[in-house]
Amino acid sequence: MSLSSASLDVIDSLRKEILKNNPTDLIQFCANYFTRQLELERSHFLSSLNTQGTKMSGSTFPGRFGSNSNPFGGATTNAGEQVGSGQISKVMEEDETDTITSPTSPNFNFGNSGGQFGAPFGGDASGEGPPSSFKAADGFPSQYGMGRRTSVSAESLNPTAASNDNWSPPFHHKTEEQLQRLKKSISGNFLFSHLDDEQSAQVLGALVEKAIPAKGIKVITQGDEGDYFYVVEKGSFVVYVNKSGSLQPGPAGLGEEVATIRPGGSFGELALMYNAPRAATVMSAEAGCTLWALDRITFRRILMDSTFQRRRLYESFLEEVPLLASLTKYERSKIADALETHKYPSGTTIIKEGDAGEAFYLLESGQAEAYKSGTQGAVKQYTKGDYFGELALLNDAPRAASVISKTEVKVAKLGKDGFQRLLGPVESIMRRTKYDEGVEEIDPLHKK
Amino acid sequence: MKIREAGQQMAAAVFHHGSQSQAPLTPEQMAQANEHEKEFIAHFSDTQRPLAPGEVAESPRNKELGKSSKGLSIRDFELVRTLGTGTFARVWLVRLANPAEEDRDKVFALKVLRKVEVIKLKQVDHVNHERSVLADVAGHPFITTLITSFSDHDSLYMLLDYCPGGEVFSYLRKAKRFDENTSRFYAAEIVLILEYLHEREGVAYRDLKPENLLLDGEGHIKLVDFGFAKRLGNSEQQKHGKKSKGNVNIVPGETYTLCGTPEYLAPEVIQSKGHTTAVDWWALGILIYEFLTGYPPFWNSNPIEIYKQIVSKPVHFPNEPAISPEAKDIIRQFCTVDRSKRLGNISGGAARVKEHPFFNGVIWEDVYYRKYRGPIIPPIRYPGDAQCFDTYPDEKAGREPYSDELKRKWEDHFKDF
Ligand SMILES: Nc1ncnc2c1ncn2[C@@H]1O[C@H](COP(=O)(O)OP(=O)(O)O)[C@@H](O)[C@H]1O
Ligand SMILES: [Mg+2]
Repeated sequence: MSLSSASLDVIDSLRKEILKNNPTDLIQFCANYFTRQLELERSHFLSSLNTQGTKMSGSTFPGRFGSNSNPFGGATTNAGEQVGSGQISKVMEEDETDTITSPTSPNFNFGNSGGQFGAPFGGDASGEGPPSSFKAADGFPSQYGMGRRTSVSAESLNPTAASNDNWSPPFHHKTEEQLQRLKKSISGNFLFSHLDDEQSAQVLGALVEKAIPAKGIKVITQGDEGDYFYVVEKGSFVVYVNKSGSLQPGPAGLGEEVATIRPGGSFGELALMYNAPRAATVMSAEAGCTLWALDRITFRRILMDSTFQRRRLYESFLEEVPLLASLTKYERSKIADALETHKYPSGTTIIKEGDAGEAFYLLESGQAEAYKSGTQGAVKQYTKGDYFGELALLNDAPRAASVISKTEVKVAKLGKDGFQRLLGPVESIMRRTKYDEGVEEIDPLHKK
Repeated sequence: MKIREAGQQMAAAVFHHGSQSQAPLTPEQMAQANEHEKEFIAHFSDTQRPLAPGEVAESPRNKELGKSSKGLSIRDFELVRTLGTGTFARVWLVRLANPAEEDRDKVFALKVLRKVEVIKLKQVDHVNHERSVLADVAGHPFITTLITSFSDHDSLYMLLDYCPGGEVFSYLRKAKRFDENTSRFYAAEIVLILEYLHEREGVAYRDLKPENLLLDGEGHIKLVDFGFAKRLGNSEQQKHGKKSKGNVNIVPGETYTLCGTPEYLAPEVIQSKGHTTAVDWWALGILIYEFLTGYPPFWNSNPIEIYKQIVSKPVHFPNEPAISPEAKDIIRQFCTVDRSKRLGNISGGAARVKEHPFFNGVIWEDVYYRKYRGPIIPPIRYPGDAQCFDTYPDEKAGREPYSDELKRKWEDHFKDF
């Protein structure tokens, strides 16, 4: 096999260069030589493109809107070709047209020069300068900071139940009136709004009173580390922000006054998530103020421990359900994720005979009873850890009995939809084991 | 080839696994270990080819990767320049000090973490997870390879393969935004990373963002920064009771430590509900959005305002640029607050993601084996070229020392390095 004349040319000119320079590190020399050649060739190629005003767009990447009106792009027009030159171009399809400048150099501009991108950026993007020139008119939020974003992290905590220590949340007594007020002031906050009753009670209990006796005391200082969240019980506080990002010495060091916080108001909530520098300075505006304070570790442990315990409880409940016996530990844990807790007062009809069943229930606390029309008295009793209505996961048959709470109950509810979304159809899970014997013995609600 | 294999075997003999501590070496043994280790790292890349996901952990070469070294020290490297500084570390471009003739071009990235900082920023657990997860996944085509790790009095070191293309972040900010094909290309490689991490390794990554996505010389993704990666109890290995290189205890499927980057945090992380690998799918939705528009869907200069939006607002798309319905759909499906509805977390897992119309026509086998051409080919002129990286100011002098008191309390926590 003989080489093409183009190849021979390349080899020949390399040979000349080697002879001329007599390099000590031959391979490095060749590498440098070809890199230089490549650069030259590319820049020639690019300048020829620019003079013709051509872009390499679309040749390897079908444009966003393809060549037809199918919303799924060119895939239907050219199914055969799709494999070769589909949505993403394959290696070595055509001449590379890399830019030679780096992405960090000011003249790096691949929007304009690159065949690599195929389809151009929606018109306005190509050929423009660096991000600093973004205008709101481009659909760009002009205020969006374009810098690198740093990561945030709280300290790692392990659930009390998993690490054998005996932590329990601190408890500070409050009057009923104080509790109501506190509840009101934190209930709208996104860090508290989703808490269940127990979590909420523990968090409220953990809030500790902090007297701020004099005027002009800085409760938090801009730029400092933050560990506490505060709710104002009494008095008022002024918020200052210094543009520099932290409190500065001198009388003007506080910065601008931006707000006043009065009883019921709160501040410093970011500290409940992770340790970040305080964004403002908050100072008492009068003597005799009172605050409630909550620290991050206490807050996070309360939430973590109760979630951890609840999940382990659900997982252990689920383990007892024969219908779900073939689930792996991992699948049970996923399902535990989708369980919703509901509380009902005694005498509530949780499921009703004849209704279409679309959820299954685990009894977390309290007692309940099943009744069937035409039968006197309860046909079955349920206590903590029992479950009912699981056949709803399997079919749409109407409920064969009603279940009514006998005391106040707490149930974990698993919807059929949620179950199927997470694990697929129950039938296929059951097929893993031989569950088909005696569905009836397991669930009295099964209809004959 | 023969010599290299022998070198690898010798290296295998002297590298030890971090967790098993051994008797200290004599100076001669140290010197010998040092030689073999240098040999190993100089040639680690010679046999590189993408391994099938199942092979990554099993291959003999990869078994040697990521282990803690006995003989290496910072003196074995020449620090060329800083490649990046993240939140906790500084990463250097390094070369072997006094290299053999044929190793002169061999360059690496060395991630340096100062023990004092790690302790102060409460990242001791995280740093250990980072080392151990990276060691377990070494060899995956789209994840930066941990070659080895070591430590000295002040610092912890992780020697990584150098990804010369720089951060996807830099390209994205320069280009303003990516078109859909470019975004799809990167998203597809990330889907394979997440599939591997979640479904094979049981690892949640937890810090997906353009800053942590690098490009290799051919323009393929290399995921770096496993500082928040965490092993959870949901890998195939656990399901099948198999043991991996690391020690897999039976751990719960969820975890509680809040970490990540504000714009990319999933709602369940913000609200401390306990989180799972599902957080990475949420973040992938944010990432695709940022690729296509140039900015994330939820942003504000005040992080609290970002979090309020994340937990309560649906993703909103601007009029411009126009975004295809299938891209909008996949973003919305990833950024779904209800985890029982979030794509990637619902039944089918990553396989379901791959079937989404946004990825229509993508041949996943070919993505994995790097058969598609990268949409951006980084302009790299020679092996140690770092022009794709920004420059960074030098480290501040007068840093807090690692005192004897700190050492007494913490040194044991760093023994795996
Ligand atoms: N293997 C690598 N090759 C090249 N650059 C790297 C490599 N690893 C990290 N970097 C650069 O260093 C930066 C910081 O590294 P990273 O691991 O993210 O540290 P941190 O944990 O401090 O965020 C990255 O964003 C990237 O620019
Ligand atoms: Mg980083």
